[in-house]
Amino acid sequence: MDTQDLVTTAGMAYIQLSDKELETLGKAVEQMVDFFEKMGEVNIEGLQPTTHAFIKKNRLREDEVRPSGIADEMLEQAPDLEDRFICIPNVL
Amino acid sequence: MAAQTRPWNETLKPEGIKAYKQFVAERDKQVASFLEFDPLRAQGTSNERAAVSTKSKTLEGLPFGVKDNIAVKNFHLTCGSKILESLVSPYNATAIQKLLDAGAVPVGKTNMDEFGMGSSTDNSAYKTTNNPHDLTRVSGGSSGGSAAAVAAGLVPFALGSDTGGSIRQPASFCGVYGLKPTYGAVSRYGLVAYASSLEVVGALAKDITILENVYETIKGLDGRDQTSTDPNDFPLLKKEVKTVGVLADRSGLDGMQAKSLEISIEALKKAGFAIKEVSLPLLDYAVPAYYTIASAEASANLARFNGIRYGNRPIYSENPDDLVRQARDQGFGDEVKLRILLGTFVLRSGFQDQYYLRAQKIRTAIRNQFDRAFEDIDLLLLPVFPIPAFKHGDLGMTAFQQKLADKYTTAANLTGLPGLSLPGPVLESVPVGMQFMAPAMHEHLLFQVARALQSSLPSADPAAYPAVYS
Repeated sequence: MDTQDLVTTAGMAYIQLSDKELETLGKAVEQMVDFFEKMGEVNIEGLQPTTHAFIKKNRLREDEVRPSGIADEMLEQAPDLEDRFICIPNVL
Repeated sequence: MAAQTRPWNETLKPEGIKAYKQFVAERDKQVASFLEFDPLRAQGTSNERAAVSTKSKTLEGLPFGVKDNIAVKNFHLTCGSKILESLVSPYNATAIQKLLDAGAVPVGKTNMDEFGMGSSTDNSAYKTTNNPHDLTRVSGGSSGGSAAAVAAGLVPFALGSDTGGSIRQPASFCGVYGLKPTYGAVSRYGLVAYASSLEVVGALAKDITILENVYETIKGLDGRDQTSTDPNDFPLLKKEVKTVGVLADRSGLDGMQAKSLEISIEALKKAGFAIKEVSLPLLDYAVPAYYTIASAEASANLARFNGIRYGNRPIYSENPDDLVRQARDQGFGDEVKLRILLGTFVLRSGFQDQYYLRAQKIRTAIRNQFDRAFEDIDLLLLPVFPIPAFKHGDLGMTAFQQKLADKYTTAANLTGLPGLSLPGPVLESVPVGMQFMAPAMHEHLLFQVARALQSSLPSADPAAYPAVYS
């Protein structure tokens, strides 16, 4: 993986990398990606992918209101709150 | 400390609270297993619920520790990460609520590798947890705080989560029992997600009966977790254990780990079980497939931590994007950043087939291989980790070596099968445990074999932390 690939990937993940991190994390990522190449040795022809071990179908519940009762406590967790609005810096 | 055997439930009575707090503060000075400890905080909830509960109270009065990625009302929920330093949970995870209903009391939150990513608990942003058997060594991870708290006798049991071995490995390092239930057997509602298709809530204890009671209490279908399953939907294939499979290829194991396995095999034979060698060549591919899938799921799950709705945010930021970038830069540790980068990379268009899709197909192949193996055996005996509890820092293992060492634990997560690690013999200064895997929803077989081996391979108290409450 070249540096540009890493920078693009980091941008997608909203991870800011310093020059030092580009070097250290870059090496660590590359080491893992190289290691993943080992998976090429397995014959996967005809196999279906497993996304979850035992789930076969979606489970649905009745479409009904169920109050959580903790909305205020959830809002209290916000780092910056005005009334019941969570504040962020200016978008524009 | 003089051994004064008292029942655990005395510790939670008004006259016992002060002594219990002192006892934990004293013992935890050097072990450093708890991030937060307050035996009184949940007691109100417990009594309130007790009045309406009709369940039998097998766990009545037992205090327990909770890994800090499982929600307990009014306790912090840091996941061992700076980014969630300020978060206090406004609700209880399903497993916690069920334990409260059964009369058990959560008394604190235990240390862990940040978001469950690690094998030593040294990746915690808060403190270094030491192995009660040898303080120079790690307690394992990522549920290292839970394992150390149980081993040091601070609580009779603790909850953990297991995504790639995070209950079984620290349990084996600290000489206690550690159960990773079948995927979906225990609701994940209230567990902070890292790799949703792999992880489960489970428990650690020194006493196999307590562990079984905890599992029986927390298991079951939960409408709040789409992936939770009804144990009754699974066929009962085997009522009891007769034949235990062991790996034909046991190369690559440290001398002590090999010795622990040999001792276990002898103990199994003596207890009347038949032993059969099995071959699982695809185990060699469990680690790359596991890390591909776990990183991919982590990159998606950890996208929710952005410093906006909860958690830490930077003092100043130019705009919302800058806020998110700074919050994640300041809030996440190196190992977390590594796995997010890795996961984002393997999910990028152009790379998906090569990594993520291939890993999911290998996951199928590994499941098929285990299904075939369980046609001839009832349980499978495996090592937990190739080496015993290692030293902190540079004297121990590199982050990459730790990942390679997940070979024997990740199979249970990829296949969804249950696994139980047992306390092994104390070799040199630390216990060296082993694990059993069973067919899906056949936890009863794991408890059966654990009871059969209880007398020959007991959970030994650390020399410096003899049992006071039992």
